[in-house]
Amino acid sequence: MSNLAAAIKVGERYQNALLEYLAAPEETALLGGYDLGRRALSEGLGVLELATIHSSAVATALNCAPDGDERERFLSTHTAFFIEALSPFEMGHRAFRDANAILRRMNDMLEGQAKRIAYALHSEAGQLLASLHMELANTARDLPPEKTTHLTKIRETLLEIENRLRNLSHELRPPVLDDLGLAAALALMAQGVSSRWGLPVIVTVDLKGDLPAVIENTVYRTAQEALTNAAKHSGANRAEVRVRQSDRKVVCSVRDDGNGFDDTGGLRKSRPGLGLTEIKERVGALGGIVRLARNGDRGTDLRIEIPLDI
Amino acid sequence: MPNEVRVKIVSHADIVAARQEARALAIEAGFSLCDSTLITTAISEMSRNVLEYAQTGEVTISLLRNGTKSGVKIVVQDCGPGIADIGQVMQDGYSSRKGMGIGLPGTKRLMDEFEIRSKLGNGTTVTMKKWNWNQ
Repeated sequence: MSNLAAAIKVGERYQNALLEYLAAPEETALLGGYDLGRRALSEGLGVLELATIHSSAVATALNCAPDGDERERFLSTHTAFFIEALSPFEMGHRAFRDANAILRRMNDMLEGQAKRIAYALHSEAGQLLASLHMELANTARDLPPEKTTHLTKIRETLLEIENRLRNLSHELRPPVLDDLGLAAALALMAQGVSSRWGLPVIVTVDLKGDLPAVIENTVYRTAQEALTNAAKHSGANRAEVRVRQSDRKVVCSVRDDGNGFDDTGGLRKSRPGLGLTEIKERVGALGGIVRLARNGDRGTDLRIEIPLDI
Repeated sequence: MPNEVRVKIVSHADIVAARQEARALAIEAGFSLCDSTLITTAISEMSRNVLEYAQTGEVTISLLRNGTKSGVKIVVQDCGPGIADIGQVMQDGYSSRKGMGIGLPGTKRLMDEFEIRSKLGNGTTVTMKKWNWNQ
């Protein structure tokens, strides 16, 4: 059944059940209200649709009321019926809240795992490879020059492995976040963008304390993605990263004065690549939102908002 | 009003009776309209299970007093086939409810205390308590 058809059907039954309840406000009619709410939930109706159904049923009931006294009585009793019908939605709402808390705990756990693996790749595997390099250098010293070609190839492969492990570790969790903290890590990123692409970047961080690791990482990744886009594709002359804590959320905004984006295509068409999609997924998993807007006449303002407690 | 009421659950009409008794005790315990509704919702959900899976059962509703705090205790008992895996039925989305957070796990979220005991072939007992925190 389509949502509209379901809403009409539930609406008709709701109307009758409410009239019954108003005529005789008893437990049987209240159970009817609860059953209807449960049915509305199963049919996929939303809480706003139910509220609309209720409001229209109350209006009809008031029209049918014979006199002012009866109308007064209707107005003071209809809420109990509405609350009954909403009760199954309350259960759904509590389930959603619990699911969000579980999702957040899982995110923290995954972030913790990523951190440990990143450390193992970066630090532990890095040390082992470094000692292997030394062994190779020692072995090479004992060999005649014509026999070291093979060792040189091994060394090149080792360097390649080292490089890949470093990249992988960085992808999992940028070590700079743990070494320096978010503010300094962003400042360092800005320096890198500036020296590599010639795009000056101003960074402002205003936080009231440390953020959870998973949020830090998401803010860092967002800034990284937005600045790389600005530097590579937008022709911007300057960019700005602002991170601040407001009430119970963290807001990160990355603005540039580049070519902006196409209103019709928005985020996807004018800025291809998986990067921004990934930002949306990461931020969405934390219960946050992503907004892409123009920065004045030209340029882009990418803003993410992540709640600190769900 | 007695502090404990028992209602046999054999038909849909008995759910109405159980809700009525629970609502009266909830009002006596000082619960708000919203919290009284959550209590009757818990009764409806559990009694519905009794009718669906065990056909008959009994709901016992009692008033709780703990110092100045009051509340209600609801015990829903049946002699049905029992539950093989309680952990499974307490998961959201188990059975045909499409994961909307209702049923057993949904009811647990409405109450302050919730305990379910069951043995295959020996029925199921759900014990729930809700305290009035606005006193």
